[in-house]
Amino acid sequence: MKYAKKAGYIAALILFLIFAAGPFVWTFIISITPDHAMFAPTPELLPGEVTFENYKELFSGGQRGSRFFESMYNSLRAAAITLCIGVPVAVMSAYALSRMEFKGRKVIKNLLLITMVIPVMATIIPLYQMFAAGKMLDDIFWLSMVYVSSYLPMAVWLISNYFATIPEELEEAALIDGCGKFVSFFRIILPLSYPIILSVILIMFLNTWSQFQIPLILASSMETKPMAIVVSEFMTKDTIQYGLIAAAGMLALIPPALTALIFRKYLISGMTKGSVKG
Amino acid sequence: MKKKIAPYLLLTPMILIMGVLVFYPIITTFTYSLKKWKLTSPGDIRFIGLKNYRNILQSDSFWYSMQNTVYILVLVIVLTTILGCLVAAFLKISKKCSGILLALAILPWALPPFVNGILWKFVFFSGYGFLNKLLIGIGAVEKPVEFLASRWLLLFVISIVVVWRSVPFMALVCLAGRQSLPEDVYEAAEIDGGTKGKIFLHVTVPLMLPFVGVGLTSTSVTAINVFDEIVALSGYSDLAKNILMESYLTTFNFLDFGKGSAMTYIVLFFALLLGIFYLRSLNKEVEY
Repeated sequence: MKYAKKAGYIAALILFLIFAAGPFVWTFIISITPDHAMFAPTPELLPGEVTFENYKELFSGGQRGSRFFESMYNSLRAAAITLCIGVPVAVMSAYALSRMEFKGRKVIKNLLLITMVIPVMATIIPLYQMFAAGKMLDDIFWLSMVYVSSYLPMAVWLISNYFATIPEELEEAALIDGCGKFVSFFRIILPLSYPIILSVILIMFLNTWSQFQIPLILASSMETKPMAIVVSEFMTKDTIQYGLIAAAGMLALIPPALTALIFRKYLISGMTKGSVKG
Repeated sequence: MKKKIAPYLLLTPMILIMGVLVFYPIITTFTYSLKKWKLTSPGDIRFIGLKNYRNILQSDSFWYSMQNTVYILVLVIVLTTILGCLVAAFLKISKKCSGILLALAILPWALPPFVNGILWKFVFFSGYGFLNKLLIGIGAVEKPVEFLASRWLLLFVISIVVVWRSVPFMALVCLAGRQSLPEDVYEAAEIDGGTKGKIFLHVTVPLMLPFVGVGLTSTSVTAINVFDEIVALSGYSDLAKNILMESYLTTFNFLDFGKGSAMTYIVLFFALLLGIFYLRSLNKEVEY
């Protein structure tokens, strides 16, 4: 019985590993397989020879490689702008909604929450019109603002729930000690809530790195296009080079994969506190 | 006086951003949807009431996309629930190296959906991709299977990729839920003489339902909003389009802004229905 249990567990572990890591391993194999051997009509899974040509081409500064890295840089810039604006705005709103009494609090909270499920397509047509009229298309700042608007509900929800768990007495004690509301916020509330703020930062970063649908419509120049769009163009333009796509995919996965590995604790607590992604 | 305006001042940036970039466009989309408005005939923009909606509901193309949407939705919900609960159970009994396993378990959720689509495209490649090599290797098939060429098989593959991305959330919500259940409930059930199977059925399942509910509604919203994976696996072709893709193509390929807007309102209607359930389950979980 005990052995049967152990064997069952090991079988589950192997299945889990195959499904969780299999696609990465296979894509990596494709990326180091020479073009002629790729998808060769044999049942062998490993290539006879190994090549790093695809990675070399991306790093050599050729047209495709430089476009790919420029798009990664664009994604990073968009993430930086998104975080610089999104996080302070979310923290301010969360503070007001969780620790202040005022008229319309419930209405604002519910309206904000309901936007969590609105599909991007439902807002993008007027946004496109608006941006075209105001010469805001292909502008990484306005693109990032649209991202911010799509993350705010989740961020405010997570942070305000966390603020609500901090005892009022802590803040009152600081006020009695002569700190103003402003100082006591920075001295007491903010340091206590760094885990949830870090979770929000990570989720916003991962979401921005993943963006596809919004920039597909609002960003078409090389100076603004994010990573996913440029990778998708490798697939549709003239010849499809699978090895190159596989190599680009592997490189594009490094930032989010490292983030997930290093900060898994914060990501998991952010996810399980009721967040939605995508 | 100062106290009264402070909360509104703090909320101003958020209200401005959400107002200009979400609420105003949402209302505008609705007014667009009541107009005849094609960019191909810019001189002819006029109010036509619900005619766009009527045309959409009468078109075969819409119902074709609707079928695809529902197929993906059902498949994703069923598979994500089953696999999510299994992964949660697996993570719960894995005490050794649980850190690495947890990190691996959230990885698909953290990655760009478009790149996920590419990874799986290599697995399901219609020629000699991974799965075909495997199937031929074990002698299950003689010729490679064309996974991405027929409608239902392609939709199945798309659903698998979406499931891969949604299982982590489901599993973690279930795991967190299971860990928050008070242990004394289990002790009491054991003292009362409950067998393992009975305890699972009468204690674990009902107590876990609210957590599965949070995972389920979030998964459903993901499943009706699938877009990136479809592009990665089949491009902008008609074969596997869902209503979201249909509305994208109508608006930005055929430049029919009126009809495209009406179509997004139909998607919005479904999303809001699910959204109400989601908000309810979220609020319940917080109270618990």
